[in-house]
Amino acid sequence: MRRSFLKASLATLIVASGVVGASLAADAATRGGKMIYARYADSLFLDPVLNDANVDIWVMNNIYDTLLTPTADGVGVQPGLATKWETSDGGKTFTLTLREGVKFSDGTPLTAADVKWSLDRARDPKAGAWNSSLASIDSIEAKEPGTVVLKLKNPDPTLVAALATFNSAIMPQKLFEATPGATPEDKAKAFAEKPVGTGPFMLTSWKRGVSMTLKRNPNYWKAGEDGKPLPYLDELEFQIIPDDSTRLLKLKAGEIDGAEFIPYARVKELQSDANLRMELWPSTRVRYLTMFAGPTFKDGKPNPMANVKVRQAMNYAVNKDAVIAITTLGLGKPMRSFMSSTTPLFVGQDLYKYDPAKAKALLAEAGLANGFEVSIYSLSGNSDDQNDLQAVQQMWSQVGIKLKIEPVDNPTRTARYREENFQMRTAAWTNDISDPSQITSYFAYWPNIHSLHSDFKDPRIDELFEKSQRETDPKARAEQYKEIQQRYNEAAPIVYLYETPYPVAFRKNAKGFVQIPLGNNLFEAAYVEK
Amino acid sequence: MNKTGYIAARLLQIVPTFILIGLVVFVLTRLLPGDPVSAMLGDRATDEAVNRLRAQMGFDRSIWTQFLLFLERAVTGDFGSSIAYRVPVTRLIAERLPVTLTLTGLATIFALLMAVPLALVAALNANRWPDYVIRVVFQVGLSSPIFYVGLVLLTVLAAWLRIFPVGGFGETMLDHLWHLFLPAITLALSFAAVIMRNLRASLMEVLEAEFVEFARAKGLPRQIVLMRHVLRNALITTVTLVGLHIGALLGGAVITESVFAVPGVGRLMVDSIFARDYPVIQALTLVLAVIVSVVFLVTDLIQMTLDPRVTR
Repeated sequence: MRRSFLKASLATLIVASGVVGASLAADAATRGGKMIYARYADSLFLDPVLNDANVDIWVMNNIYDTLLTPTADGVGVQPGLATKWETSDGGKTFTLTLREGVKFSDGTPLTAADVKWSLDRARDPKAGAWNSSLASIDSIEAKEPGTVVLKLKNPDPTLVAALATFNSAIMPQKLFEATPGATPEDKAKAFAEKPVGTGPFMLTSWKRGVSMTLKRNPNYWKAGEDGKPLPYLDELEFQIIPDDSTRLLKLKAGEIDGAEFIPYARVKELQSDANLRMELWPSTRVRYLTMFAGPTFKDGKPNPMANVKVRQAMNYAVNKDAVIAITTLGLGKPMRSFMSSTTPLFVGQDLYKYDPAKAKALLAEAGLANGFEVSIYSLSGNSDDQNDLQAVQQMWSQVGIKLKIEPVDNPTRTARYREENFQMRTAAWTNDISDPSQITSYFAYWPNIHSLHSDFKDPRIDELFEKSQRETDPKARAEQYKEIQQRYNEAAPIVYLYETPYPVAFRKNAKGFVQIPLGNNLFEAAYVEK
Repeated sequence: MNKTGYIAARLLQIVPTFILIGLVVFVLTRLLPGDPVSAMLGDRATDEAVNRLRAQMGFDRSIWTQFLLFLERAVTGDFGSSIAYRVPVTRLIAERLPVTLTLTGLATIFALLMAVPLALVAALNANRWPDYVIRVVFQVGLSSPIFYVGLVLLTVLAAWLRIFPVGGFGETMLDHLWHLFLPAITLALSFAAVIMRNLRASLMEVLEAEFVEFARAKGLPRQIVLMRHVLRNALITTVTLVGLHIGALLGGAVITESVFAVPGVGRLMVDSIFARDYPVIQALTLVLAVIVSVVFLVTDLIQMTLDPRVTR
């Protein structure tokens, strides 16, 4: 089951990134030199445990390693700092064998004690926003040399993926503890200025909001295709260029080698530029509209969207293909579950095929034959939000739903969302972990954040989810996820829109970059041909 | 009152101004919906995580307690750490301020170099063809949106002709000036248009004044009449205008900064507002207020030199 799924998604990956795969296989990598990659926003805090944002998560793997790592297709895991892992004791003991001879970038050897300390730090319930991913761990034992034993409170099918996720990256205990600072938080701040990890690069300078320079880690453990240690590059520089047009102009002028977040409207143009290579990496990103589905809004007014028929009508009234054509210029594809098709255990359905007549009928059944008015928070200045909502607004007006668009800035939108003081809002999601549990706990499992603060609650989904979190039989777990997805999609507490790839572009001679569906930017095998 | 006394009085006025600015900014930032914690943790955080961080950062205390703490630290020059970047605010500002000061300085020099000679030509040829040409060109400069002018300059001079770099700030001093050339020209175009129009109008007024007539009648050479009497007098209102405009450029060159990827304080301010990074917003506002006050003081001193009546 799992294997055939893996094969299928590998096939999609190869098809989707056809050009990339072909060019990679053909040439031998160049060693040395420097690559400049332009990002739309800078990182904020390079601490695996205490960071909060994709701008950190997506680049941290260039400095730190995890015990296991996600596969390039994002649905499985492969060896990282650990070469072997096995469960025993009915799934309650998890034993990892560490890779031999691994050194941190400062030359000190990686020990089992470093691993125990790092994981203990990551699972501390008082530290950071991500500790719950390791909540099943009861205690950790370091057996030098090279063995780490995790004792679990209960069998945990997500643990393998959790150990391949950024927050369980391994840091050097002694060096961290010797870092000046009164509190652990202060130490973390100071350590993150000059982080030391086992990853392919070392951070050597960082001008906040401007640029970041990473130098080759001479002690990196992974070997390239030529049998010598990676990375190929001597230096990697991230430049922060928030303006889309400027980022592209710099790329065209050859001042930089690559750039992320190419606007959809420019993809065709770059595809036809002989000096450039447009890459569209399969992602776990989904775009949807969130709604409040509880019986009454914060202001006490009754909520029509508490009725499942209304929510289904809203979905039937959206022509996803048209929205995809308008906003992504055809680069997206319709969502077929609340999770992306690149998520493990995804089960796709044809969701809410455009049918305005059915939408009208459903509204009439719900006693809203004359429609209703609903307001939505969008991100001001965000063109995707603008395009999506103008299309939806127009489509909904045909069935009598009046959409009032209220552009606000991000902290405002988040604050209203968290207070559950909203009717609808725009949203996007990418997974951080190669397991469906994260997205499900946020979208569908009420106790976490009330199902995206919608207040949608299905006791059966909650029960299935809790079961699946301890389910050691992969087949049974897949069945649980199938039912969760079907139930959720039927209840439709979101308006389904589309999935999009990560659009990045490179100069023709800059190769070997990989972005996995979780978003992680891998530069270890990147190189620039002379 | 003599000059020194005047400067001292002006400097003293600055102190209450700052406390007032500090208070207004402090309160306003806190009136914005959302706080740094919700900006930082994003959509996914649980209430528990949010409350923990809020308490850690002291946002659970009353706004007055927070303000007093801020004042107490600010007096000693401690503006705290950026909430988003986790580094001292002073360091962030110290990295960005030289960029903005250089950019503003260059833009002002370019603007004056363009505006003053052309205003003279226009005024001396009032309502004849050189005047029309100059006015039309500047009208276009003034009415084109800055991001558009910037993009056109970038596309033509940087991306196509490769005469200038597309963006960034460079490494050495010469490199900085090289990188800042296009953004400075972009800012200077609309700036120059304003100065030119103003200066042309006052030049024409002065040219018709009786004392100019008198100077000419005395048989003074044309050059001396123009420079010493006409331009000097006409510049008095222009100097004020330039001062005001510099003040606006210091914190308000955001569009130019982002089109040219110039890491100045404008971008830092906007990013900080979106991140609700209170310490950066507060410190940056105060620093900019100091600089603007100094610019205004200098403007006034120049005016005093041009027109001794100011001190009376």
